[in-house]
Amino acid sequence: MVNLQNMLAAVGGSLATVAPEGAVFSSHWPLTAIVLLPLLSFVLCALCAAFGVKSKLPAWITVASLAAAFVFTFLAFRSAGPILGGHGADHAAHAQVHVFDWMNFAWGDTQDSHGVFDADFGFYIDGLTLLWMLFVTGLATLIALYASEYMAHDVGLGYCRFFAAFSLFVLSMSCLVMANNLLLLFFGWEGVGLCSYLLIGYFYKKPAAVAAAKKAFIINRIGDLGLLMGILGVYASFGSVQYDKIFELISKGVDGAGNPLTTSNWVPVILPLLLTAGAFGKSAQLFFYVWLPDAMEGPTPVSALIHAATMVTAGVYLIARMMPLYTIDTAHTILNFVAWGGAITAFWAATIGMAHFDIKRVMGYSTASQLGYMFAGLGTLSSAGGAAHVFSHAFFKATLFLACGAVMHGFAGQLDLRKLSGVRKIKGWGIVAFAMFVGALNLAGFPGLAGFWSKDLILASAFEANPILGWLLLLTAGLTAYYTFRAYFRVFEGPISYEPGEDFHGDAHASHADHGHAEKAHGHDAKSHDAHSKGHDAHAGHAGEFHPHAPGWAINAVLLTLSVGCFAIIPLLALGEHGGWVGHMVGASSAALHGTGEGHGTFLGMDPHKVMYYVSAVVGGLGIIAAFVLHLLGRTTSAHAKADKLEPFLGPLVGWARHKWYVDEFYNMVIRVPLKFMAHVFHGIDQYLVDGLVNLTGFLPKGLGRLIRPTQSGELHGYALGMAGGVAIMILIVMMVAK
Amino acid sequence: MTQWLLILAILLPLASSLGVALAPARLTKSVAVLGTLAALGVTLVAAYVFGWENPAVMQLGMEEPIRWIPSLGLELQVGVDSIALMLVLLTALLGPICVISSFSAIKEREKTYYAWLLVLQAAVTGVFCARDVIFFYICFEFTLIPMFVLISLWGSTNRKKAALKFFLYTFTGSVIALAGLVYVAWFNTHKGNGQAFWTFNIDTLAATARGMPLRDQTWVMFALLAGFAVKVPLFPVHTWLPLAHTEAPTAGSVVLAGVLLKLGTYALLRFVLPFVPDAVVTFAPLIAATCVVGILYGGLICWVQTDVKKLVAYSSIAHLGFCVLGMFALNNAGIAGSVLYMINHGLSTGALFLLIGMVYERYHTRSMKELGGLAAKMPVWSTFMVFFTMASIGLPGLNGFVSEFLCVMGTFQSSTAWGSGIWHSFGHQVGTTRGELGPWFAIIAGTGMIIAAMYLLYMLGKIVWGPLKVPGGHDSHGHDSHGGSDHGALPTDLNLREIGVLVPLAVLCIALGVYPKPLVDVIREPADQIVKLANQSRARIGVVPAPKQAQAPASDRAPGAEHLPGAEHLESLDADMSPAATPEVPQ
Repeated sequence: MVNLQNMLAAVGGSLATVAPEGAVFSSHWPLTAIVLLPLLSFVLCALCAAFGVKSKLPAWITVASLAAAFVFTFLAFRSAGPILGGHGADHAAHAQVHVFDWMNFAWGDTQDSHGVFDADFGFYIDGLTLLWMLFVTGLATLIALYASEYMAHDVGLGYCRFFAAFSLFVLSMSCLVMANNLLLLFFGWEGVGLCSYLLIGYFYKKPAAVAAAKKAFIINRIGDLGLLMGILGVYASFGSVQYDKIFELISKGVDGAGNPLTTSNWVPVILPLLLTAGAFGKSAQLFFYVWLPDAMEGPTPVSALIHAATMVTAGVYLIARMMPLYTIDTAHTILNFVAWGGAITAFWAATIGMAHFDIKRVMGYSTASQLGYMFAGLGTLSSAGGAAHVFSHAFFKATLFLACGAVMHGFAGQLDLRKLSGVRKIKGWGIVAFAMFVGALNLAGFPGLAGFWSKDLILASAFEANPILGWLLLLTAGLTAYYTFRAYFRVFEGPISYEPGEDFHGDAHASHADHGHAEKAHGHDAKSHDAHSKGHDAHAGHAGEFHPHAPGWAINAVLLTLSVGCFAIIPLLALGEHGGWVGHMVGASSAALHGTGEGHGTFLGMDPHKVMYYVSAVVGGLGIIAAFVLHLLGRTTSAHAKADKLEPFLGPLVGWARHKWYVDEFYNMVIRVPLKFMAHVFHGIDQYLVDGLVNLTGFLPKGLGRLIRPTQSGELHGYALGMAGGVAIMILIVMMVAK
Repeated sequence: MTQWLLILAILLPLASSLGVALAPARLTKSVAVLGTLAALGVTLVAAYVFGWENPAVMQLGMEEPIRWIPSLGLELQVGVDSIALMLVLLTALLGPICVISSFSAIKEREKTYYAWLLVLQAAVTGVFCARDVIFFYICFEFTLIPMFVLISLWGSTNRKKAALKFFLYTFTGSVIALAGLVYVAWFNTHKGNGQAFWTFNIDTLAATARGMPLRDQTWVMFALLAGFAVKVPLFPVHTWLPLAHTEAPTAGSVVLAGVLLKLGTYALLRFVLPFVPDAVVTFAPLIAATCVVGILYGGLICWVQTDVKKLVAYSSIAHLGFCVLGMFALNNAGIAGSVLYMINHGLSTGALFLLIGMVYERYHTRSMKELGGLAAKMPVWSTFMVFFTMASIGLPGLNGFVSEFLCVMGTFQSSTAWGSGIWHSFGHQVGTTRGELGPWFAIIAGTGMIIAAMYLLYMLGKIVWGPLKVPGGHDSHGHDSHGGSDHGALPTDLNLREIGVLVPLAVLCIALGVYPKPLVDVIREPADQIVKLANQSRARIGVVPAPKQAQAPASDRAPGAEHLPGAEHLESLDADMSPAATPEVPQ
């Protein structure tokens, strides 16, 4: 115990020696530990897999190391006082630590490049970093604990695989957030993409999961190309990829060679646009959103952590971090684009969420929609609002997902809101229902809750920037309240009625047919214990025999903690101007924006910052009431509610929304099919034309030789000679053409 | 002692090849393993005594060259700089891996097989160590014979055709390359510095060749490209590769992908760039364009393959497109990336071929229609497969990323044409170098990274993930060692020997991905020399790259334009901008 105290004191002491002017932490170890602990956990989980551990050991390893990482993050936060000093202070206030030279190459001065590429493995610590790291490590710990029970059916190889990828994710995410340069950010960026791929495809025997994983990775890669080119462009212009050097040059208004930045569109517009492509890919915005709903194929803890709370907010983080670059352009061209991209995605995804029946998918679309809010916040110069919404959303969306996961876990994979009803009233489901209710209230923006405060900041600045944008987001807020409570009222309220999901029967057979391999990672098979005990002859018609499997202590404890957490963070957001403590953290970082009141938009002639609290409360309330009337009032079965009667009036709209507006089909037709066709054509060309020419070149002399000197021509020689001649002629042609 | 290290690295495999041929059959494998391990040991010693502080200097040569045919100036001398030494190390590392991985795959004519495999290793090592053109060329061509034998005797169904095509195609190309090299030697004797005697020393010839007029340089460059681009292979002359790879036995594919293709890129680096820099600078956009086409074309073709080995084979075309693209960026980042690419591609693609071979040994098919979901049956194999696929995709943190990034970065930087189009930026950009390519090349090539993700994940989705699917006769009960199956003692998942073969490659992939700095540092000086030559050429012939896009890179570039002193200014005036905005071109 004494040792521990000493250690903590040493850590605190070493961290406390932070000078505001970019001085380096006296030792990098306390910060490196935040990265090393998940790495350690990853290695240990991999070893567990190698040695065939068949217990919950990997989960405890992961929970312990992530909890330790959280403690280290918290200590770093505690001792980072000098950096976080004054609100709205000079955004250069930060600390840097250098761990080792990663891709740090010096080529010397060769004529005209200064020849240094300086991507270290090092950390850049300011308010933004700490804010992100606090909720990343904190939520990761809680969700790992939840997963220890949720994944229990897979104890063995699958369990190790899950927690190894989980740890690797936290490692990558930490690198992404703490990086002191863009390339290390890219390392984390691609690393979280890999973990996302591995975890979405966790149930790898399901073709849908495999396809979803692939889709997520590839769509992300498209954005990543933009990000990579943006990084190269930043390097070309500033001669560095390190944040502090870039920001220093930007604050001076010059690029690396001393040219003013604003004389062309290259630095102020093109570079941010390239980075935005990466951000939109990772955060599922605009054209890129299609991967996120499909990513719900992954286990629910993954959806909660990666596809709601942390990874998908990396795009928001990137733009917030590079805010100095975005604000070079006084016309805010790209920030406007970001705002509109976010707002359109928010609205678009919300319409799909209103029609979908799968509650987890509804939450997936909701995530895309809420991310849209965050981008709208950033784009309308409210980085505090964007970050505050990231922060509150991380809590309440994780809560919602984990509650949905508990339902899925207990009802054998059932997620269809037409086949579940009254879950709150079943014994043992109280905490789940409570958590879902708290999460739903937050998402709907119920007055006084965390989600309300953060969303209001965004709405107000959106109205200020452009009233049309504001109205679009306000309308979306109403839709959000509606679809959130639609899901809640259908599943948790009303008469008790449920059907088990598809894992109840089908997979039970499959797992019996499995031939005793150690690997039992098949869907959620072993989850429905009842199915096993009932044996093979249970039919779909015997659904009445199904007993939902109420969550155990780990799930309940985590849900309760998170629900309480949703309330606990309210003071962090609400006390004080501009996002309270969170706004203060953002203010003490590169994302700080001075003087938000640039726009002159109003809400019906009133100051949006003053009236938005009331307006959004009313809109949210209307959405909840609509959901209550349409989906709960007088509902007697799980399958039908009053909303069904509205459908004929809406024409084909509902059907289209239910089919996700056919965007996937559109992409398939416009991009994938032509590309595939082209690939087939290329393959054909390669086999018959390019190779055919080669064969012809080889054949010609042989044929001629046979014709002329049938006895003398050795095949090999003729072939070779002919090809030599052929290539020589080709060169000749090239030469002549080149002239 | 140190003067014999490289000779030993060449002779040890040869000697053990002889040993394999003479020793009794039961000792075949042991002799082969010992021989390759000894060669690996010798090269490690060579790496230890190598003077890393002077990485650009040819070292470890013999004190006195072996005078072979003095009247023709034929001398045999060896020596390596850091780049060659790295490739020698890669060859020596893949040697034991190839031998050990063949233990269960090769069941007939073992002696012949291992003997030829060892000869192949000796020949490849010889290429990287050669200091004179003739020795280089002998080794370069001699690699064909063992490979021909390996493919045609132990290959798959279509092996005869594949072997013949491989042989003739690359042989024909090499003959033309030889003609180019001999022309340089002739030029040296007759028009060079008044010397009347022949020499084939690479450095001497390079100096002479650089003095040739652009017209001659162009001819020499295309002659050399005819040999070396086929070997790489670059886009229009690649069709031997998929066939040879698909038909070759596993170890053959590993050597082919791991080092034989690198003979082409190494020769480009050793002969084309230093010999004919004027022509290279002039035609860089054309060559880069074929690389970019190869990246996209090869990548898309991968996407519609059903034979997993063919998929990886086509992926080599795309990957080496990046490698050569970086090289022809002709700046430090590009060349360093290109050299690293040679190493990294050898490691990750070599490992992928090993993994595919391991599955082939178990199920006798490589078709993704017959195989699927092997993660359920072979978790260890699947783990390695996912790992090396990610290395191949270029995931940061693994080796593939470092080289791919540097190649793309070199390409992106390599332009003095910033100042028009969307790159409309006044003044010099600090992070750029002189060069002929530029951002458009990088962006179009960069889409190849997306395509790489598409086809490699498609491959993973088919054979690693998804519902378990194995060919008939290999049902889901799984074979274990008691199964008495036709493939002997192979268990369902990998055995220790197979894991042992893969682990060194995996460790190197991580090490080179996490800490590439030492390697890049020792590549710097040799790369710098090439960049300096290129910059001299740029200054000499005054080539200002077309400020337009990548689409029509070479059509408007006449090889004879170098004599127009005002060309530079004319071209920059052509670019749609005021004279005041002309980008400064620092010297």
